[in-house]
Amino acid sequence: MQDLGRAALALAFGLVLYAAIGGGLGAYLRRRRLVVSARNALFAAFGSTAVAAIVLLNAFRIRDFSFAYVAEHSSKALPFPYVYTAFWGGQEGSLLLWLLVLTGVGSAAVAFNRRLTTEVLPWTVPVLGAVASFFALMLVFVASPFGTQVAPADGAGLNPSLQNPYMMIHPPLLYLGYVGLTIPFAFAAGALLSGRFDERWIVATRRWTILAWTALGIGILLGAKWAYEEVGWGGYYAWDPVENAALMPWLAATAYLHSVMVQEKKDMLRVWNATLVCGAFCLSIFGTFLTRSGLINSIHSFAQSPIGAWFLGFIGVAATFSTVLILWRLPLLRARTKLESLASREAAFLYNNLLLVAFTLTVLWGVAFPLLSDAVRGEAVTVGPPYYDFFLKVFGLPLLLLMGIGPLVAWRRTSLRALGETVLWPGVAALAVGVILIALGAGSSTAGLLAYTFSAFALGAIVLEFARGTRARKALGASSWWSAFSGLVARNRRRYGGYVVHAAVVLLAIGVAGSSAYGATKIRHLRPGDTMGIRGYTLTYKGSVLRHAANHDELRARLAVTENGNQIGTLFAGKNRYFAEQQVSNEVAIKTDWLRAQDLFVIGDEFKKDGSVYLKVLVKPLVNLIWLAGLVFLLGSVITLWPDAREQRRLASRTEPGPVPITP
Amino acid sequence: MRLVIALSVAAALAVFLLYTSFAGGATPSLKPSQLAGHRGKLSVSGYVLGPVAGDPHASGGLRFKLRDIDGPHQSVRVPVVFHGSEPDLFRAGRHVYVVGNYNGASLAATSITTKCPSKYSPAKS
Repeated sequence: MQDLGRAALALAFGLVLYAAIGGGLGAYLRRRRLVVSARNALFAAFGSTAVAAIVLLNAFRIRDFSFAYVAEHSSKALPFPYVYTAFWGGQEGSLLLWLLVLTGVGSAAVAFNRRLTTEVLPWTVPVLGAVASFFALMLVFVASPFGTQVAPADGAGLNPSLQNPYMMIHPPLLYLGYVGLTIPFAFAAGALLSGRFDERWIVATRRWTILAWTALGIGILLGAKWAYEEVGWGGYYAWDPVENAALMPWLAATAYLHSVMVQEKKDMLRVWNATLVCGAFCLSIFGTFLTRSGLINSIHSFAQSPIGAWFLGFIGVAATFSTVLILWRLPLLRARTKLESLASREAAFLYNNLLLVAFTLTVLWGVAFPLLSDAVRGEAVTVGPPYYDFFLKVFGLPLLLLMGIGPLVAWRRTSLRALGETVLWPGVAALAVGVILIALGAGSSTAGLLAYTFSAFALGAIVLEFARGTRARKALGASSWWSAFSGLVARNRRRYGGYVVHAAVVLLAIGVAGSSAYGATKIRHLRPGDTMGIRGYTLTYKGSVLRHAANHDELRARLAVTENGNQIGTLFAGKNRYFAEQQVSNEVAIKTDWLRAQDLFVIGDEFKKDGSVYLKVLVKPLVNLIWLAGLVFLLGSVITLWPDAREQRRLASRTEPGPVPITP
Repeated sequence: MRLVIALSVAAALAVFLLYTSFAGGATPSLKPSQLAGHRGKLSVSGYVLGPVAGDPHASGGLRFKLRDIDGPHQSVRVPVVFHGSEPDLFRAGRHVYVVGNYNGASLAATSITTKCPSKYSPAKS
């Protein structure tokens, strides 16, 4: 079966290479048949990659340890469904998943838009083919998942930390996000190469970009949730280079999703948008390079890997190609209109973009700093969480404030008086929240207090926007308040879906500020019968419990928990010991207070032979708002992504000639 | 004019970043063989040598040694004493990232991160 997998990958490599070279020639020479055959080659490459993926999945299913990759990442005792998610548990499998998603999403984007962008598409397919060729090259010649060996009696197993439901969905979502950013890049490059840099490529890729951005955002949050529950140190984001690798393209894509609206409305920021799209793509590849090169210390990277040099070369080619392309087409990209006022919606988008890009570059600087300092001073120097936390406050707090102001400002220009009137009620709400919080003693953290106050302002602005719109529709004759509200959202899904996403960001900010600025931590050594207290909770250690599962033993500390004298439950915190993997994993216990969105978080740190235990206990106020933010973010994205025939007709009429665009 | 403003903002940010990253508590990241001549807070990436002895919660701490993961200086050993929460995957033979204070002879570690052993490991020959 390995031969079939290898052959399928070799065929996929040939097909995407043809899509790149043949498609490029076809576009240049304007040979329609060549262009169509290149497009079909991209579709066929997806089929061929799918065959390779099925071969590998089947090898995992039957535990065929003659596949070296299967033996390294699974074992006989590895339970369903982790035996399938082990597919992307290592380098070769994750590269195969990348190619599968790239050829699949790329084919779908090309198929859905084949009538909309007839001039751009012939150049888009070669760009997609070139990107896919790189990954196929890696899989065929550098990191094949189809290496063979004499089958051992059992496999090495999957890292216990990855045997977690969140890890089943987190990596594919990240790949969908990374790979999805190739679509706007390929269409933008196609538009630049074809000389048709009007709105059409934006219309064609808007939903694909939102889909990629949503997948990346949810992927990052699920990774944070996994770290919170599985890694068990009490946090959810450690500013690790690998975490930052996903954050940077997400920030760049966020900036692009805002600035592209200015291009659509005012035909401005063309160079900026082209740069952001190319930058987001390069950052997604840079993140992959960081993860796999081993050049920067991270929990994920592992020693020097030869694949890093290939990725570095690819980033160099992509960045050079993008820069040359933008410089070449600069005359075409010049804006036809100018910013009329610094107090306008487009100016607010511009400020938002500057802050987002500045934060992206700051994170990039922090991640690359060890490499740069090593090159300059001969000594690698790392910057830790204090550096990132500082800049999160510097750029994040103004962004939070802008999120409230932006929607309230009119396009073109707004007078200071009109601005004052519109921000009055959100401002009053923010002021009231600030005063109440200071009275409640939350002034101990200035950043936390500002975050809450600005969050109240942004939330007030969102509520005001919904209230105004609903009232206007009711006045226009809607039968009920509900129909006025639902009609409002349905008629402009992009705008109101965006506001829901803003609400998610507000929840995230409140959750992050609350859990980081107002939390509590205690470490205690307890013997059976001992108690410890923290923030009104009392934990009584009732002794340890040992349970046996299929592929591991579970050792837990049994803890009776009371709050202000009332019994609220029993918690089991401890460790799992995995047999095949010969590894131990922390299994934390969490008691959630849904009313306060607060967690009591217990880590069974160390079990002593005398029956005592070292417990680390944390109280994390408002932390559950972070996870709720994920759901609200998803809801907002779905509203924005939902097909809207009216909007499609409007956009199509603006990009005539051409039929109604078809988007997913 | 716009270009001048943009470049000025970018230059200010660059200076600010440089200042913050150098003066804002940045930590040297070294191999065990590079520790000679260093003192104070630093981070070390290395290979855990057994025996791993002691208790991370006791006054004596958890004790082990580190050597370079690869390269020509793997004979250099650095003693480490760690107090705190032992990470999940920690044991002899693992690659770890340790942050602590080095006094010229041993490293008083305040945090240990065990690198994920299965993700993206180099292909076996």
